[in-house]
Amino acid sequence: MEELISQVPQQIVNGITLGSIYALLALGYSMVYGVLRMLNFAHGDVFMVGAFTGWGVLMFFAEDGQVAAPILVLAAMVLAAVGATSILGAAIERFAYRPLRGGSRLVTLISALGVSIILQNAAMILTAGRAKAIPAELLIPQDLVVRAAGATISATRLAMVVVSAVTMVLLDVVVFKTKFGRAMRATSQDSEAAEYMGVNTAQVIALTFVLGSALAGLAGVMIGLYYTQVDYMIGFSAGMKAFTAAVLGGIGSFRGAAAGGLLLGLAESFGVLIAPPVYKDAIVFAVLILTLILRPAGLFGKPSVSRA
Amino acid sequence: MLRKLKSKVNAVLFVILVAAVVALAGTVELAAKELPPIKIGAAGPYTGDVSKIGLDGLNAIKMAVEEANAAGGINGRMIEIVEADDAADPAKAIIVAEMLAMDRNVIGVVGPMNSATVQAALPTYQRAGLPIISQSATYPPLTEMGYSVMFRICPRDDAQGPAAAKFIVEELKAQKIYIIDDKTTYGQGLADQVEPALKAAGVEVLRGQIDMADRDFSPILTRVKAANPDLVYLGLANPAQAASLIKQAAGLGLDVTFMGGDGLKEKDQLIDGSGGLAEGMYVTSIGKDIREVPEAQSFIEKFEGRYGAMSVFSGQSYEAANILIDAARRAASDPMAITRDKVREAISKTDGYRGILGFPISFDAKGDVVGASIFVYQVQNGEFVPVAEYSASVSGN
Repeated sequence: MEELISQVPQQIVNGITLGSIYALLALGYSMVYGVLRMLNFAHGDVFMVGAFTGWGVLMFFAEDGQVAAPILVLAAMVLAAVGATSILGAAIERFAYRPLRGGSRLVTLISALGVSIILQNAAMILTAGRAKAIPAELLIPQDLVVRAAGATISATRLAMVVVSAVTMVLLDVVVFKTKFGRAMRATSQDSEAAEYMGVNTAQVIALTFVLGSALAGLAGVMIGLYYTQVDYMIGFSAGMKAFTAAVLGGIGSFRGAAAGGLLLGLAESFGVLIAPPVYKDAIVFAVLILTLILRPAGLFGKPSVSRA
Repeated sequence: MLRKLKSKVNAVLFVILVAAVVALAGTVELAAKELPPIKIGAAGPYTGDVSKIGLDGLNAIKMAVEEANAAGGINGRMIEIVEADDAADPAKAIIVAEMLAMDRNVIGVVGPMNSATVQAALPTYQRAGLPIISQSATYPPLTEMGYSVMFRICPRDDAQGPAAAKFIVEELKAQKIYIIDDKTTYGQGLADQVEPALKAAGVEVLRGQIDMADRDFSPILTRVKAANPDLVYLGLANPAQAASLIKQAAGLGLDVTFMGGDGLKEKDQLIDGSGGLAEGMYVTSIGKDIREVPEAQSFIEKFEGRYGAMSVFSGQSYEAANILIDAARRAASDPMAITRDKVREAISKTDGYRGILGFPISFDAKGDVVGASIFVYQVQNGEFVPVAEYSASVSGN
């Protein structure tokens, strides 16, 4: 029992770290669902591309097991990954979803699954299916830690949580305080009405994809540095978790996605206090099922109203 | 007039026919001089997480075949390799086993390399009567299930596990051990051998599991940290995953000695991949580092000149291929009379084959190798340094 309690502070830290990544990804899911009413199953794979881009940039600058300016390289990794995923997101929207708009939602869903499979397989072929080690220690010493209240917080985790929090605050400002944010919320509420009011919904949708994909790129770089390796399948499991987080928070809701991500991360970490770690995914989905039984629209979701 | 023409045409046709028959006979005669090739299968993970050991093994097999062909092949028949990529996936291992079994020119197989893939594919190979020599499948039951086609040149985990336990208890004097395995046939199987041997010595053992697909190890490492063990034993099949786990342990402030099995003895993935944090870690090995074997020097030089640094099973793969080729040569004096069954028979009669592994190789009645040793290595200054050696004989073997 004492051993169990001693793990609590650490598991909180573990949960928040993981949860902040889930939250960033869930936001992308939720935003796209909001404006398009579709589940973008390729989102996890966009995240994977972000992680690989970060790895590529780091390997480009690493010479003889050293990096000249860690901070600059880190910035370059983030910029390259965010740039790559933004372009990828825009391209996916333009070529895989836009031509199908107006058709059945199921068609776009299948198209999303197709894009996901294409990205996964392309990455598998390019890497021969082998995990790539990310020498994160070149940027941040792996044993650089802060000890507080019985928990050990590595510099990497601290950076992840801070960056995620700042990003989410900025996003909140964009969504709730800017003109684009208002247009996006309007499109989410009723795209037809928004269009009558002069909102260029096609543009809003495209920009929403770019924004969501950029968040995935950022999350990809961070997860790469945290896991210290990247492989072509990371998008699949992360995508599933993020999707779960989005549903948990109430899909389509911003703050719900962020809360859902954090909750999921914490559930995963706390679950292993009582069950063997190998069941962590089972615990995550059990939380989802329970939540949906009690609140079918998710934590922050509004009960759906059928549209005419 | 017409009749005359007709007979002329007939005459021309007749000449053409004769010429064609002669030409055909000529090619038949030519082909008879050159014997058809004989094939050996090379089964292993050439894509996927553990593809590095697979591809390095395949390169070593290619070298063995190339050298054998330069020396006249198998009694005049050239050897061809049929590559069978199983991606370390048991389901794929069965499919590629079927493919090899259906090709009647395949007379033997080097591999598969993973315990799980051997276990899955063995019934198929047995049905086809196709002998296999695994270079690295260490799971003990593989040779206990009565499959006559199964041979391996690596010692078993019921030798490796107890040797690791002996080292932990006698040399490291550790009192509390946390064992983490990855649920694979190899990883969990090895952990299952280490645990009872440790318990028999009166040491406290805790266990936990991860999945081969896991990338976040903080949940289990937090548990490990709370338990505060003297040593963490890793029953993992993927050295890249082990390196990642060790790095995440440092991030949690977990300062503990790690130990693992033969599958982790991979310099660039474990030592370099961990960014120096694997320093001081121990691994057991199912064979001597062939750099210390004089007979292996020309192989190492040639291999590294061509493909770069060797993997843990490169030497084992080269040896397994050579034993198969040697057996095929002994199987029948008439190269066209070589059958799978004769090759299997010849492999079982391998008697003190001296290759590059540093000990003479023979097989017992089950297909297990006789006379091997288990070595313990420690990572010192970024290299694996041998620190102990144990006999690999298993009681009752």
